Amino acid sequence: MLRALRRCRPGPVPLPALPPALGPGLGPGLGPGLCPAWAPRAVPVRGRKTRHDPPAKSKAGRVKLPPPVDPEELLVVLERYRQHRLVLSALRAEFRAEVLQRQREERLAAGGSAEELEEHRRLMAWNEEQNARQRARREERLRKEEEEQKRRKLEIAEKQARKMEAFLEEKEKEVLQLQEEAKNFITPENLEARIEECLDNPRNYNFAIDKDGRIVKRTVLS
Amino acid sequence: MPRYELALIVKAMQRPETAAVLKRTVEALMERGAIVRNLENLGERSLPYKISKHKERHKRGGYFLIDLEAPPSLVSPMMDHLGRDIDVIRRAFIKHPVAKAEECTGILPASPQEKLSARKN
Repeated sequence: MLRALRRCRPGPVPLPALPPALGPGLGPGLGPGLCPAWAPRAVPVRGRKTRHDPPAKSKAGRVKLPPPVDPEELLVVLERYRQHRLVLSALRAEFRAEVLQRQREERLAAGGSAEELEEHRRLMAWNEEQNARQRARREERLRKEEEEQKRRKLEIAEKQARKMEAFLEEKEKEVLQLQEEAKNFITPENLEARIEECLDNPRNYNFAIDKDGRIVKRTVLS
Repeated sequence: MPRYELALIVKAMQRPETAAVLKRTVEALMERGAIVRNLENLGERSLPYKISKHKERHKRGGYFLIDLEAPPSLVSPMMDHLGRDIDVIRRAFIKHPVAKAEECTGILPASPQEKLSARKN
């Protein structure tokens, strides 16, 4: 990383070898083989081939590795950079705050007489008290809403519980009723008796009714 | 389990044979896992029309009603089984009728406008 920053140094950089007729006009202080680092290169670094040409056979097994980095050295260097930048930014913030403070004082001293400062302080106090009042109201409102919420939740829970109870009661009743009726069910033991009894008692569901609503249940079975 | 009602019309026979039919029907039901609640006899009556079944023409039949609780998977096999029984003229499974607690409002008089605009459906 540090090696790559070398091109940003404010110094000349060795120029690739080429006929001096093609080179740019060299300024004072630059040798025959140097050009400024920021100047546009006269010759592209690729050389003979363009990017679309295939690489040479001698480069067939070439494996490009990044520059080796020593981890401890890296850690040490990064830590040092971090501390350095921390200190610098703290200093900058400190100076900025100082400058702002000075500007503010100067502005106050230039603009304000005693009454203005007094007025300013009074208005600030008034603002603070208005804020406090609003805060109180807001807190009150929030508290009330929370209570309301809790109460609603409780109500809902209660309602649920009641519904559950009612449901369970219903089911209990049904179960009991079924148990009662179960005594009359037909089992293999009393099958014969039930059949005899059934054949002995024919039931007739027919009935006659007239417009006055009189019902006659005894009808002739043909 | 849902409740069904098995309406059965059996051939007009003597009492012991009818008893035998009922017995084997109920036993078949219980074998397949049904719970028989009640057995009702609606009497031996003349059928509303002549029914031909199992190579016989029937004019009279015994009407029986079997109240049972059964799984729904019982219905089809039971219908097949009863169809093969030569003493059974007609069989029908119905869901147990639930008495609705709706009051009869009576006949509402139709207004003349409704009579005019009524469509012939």
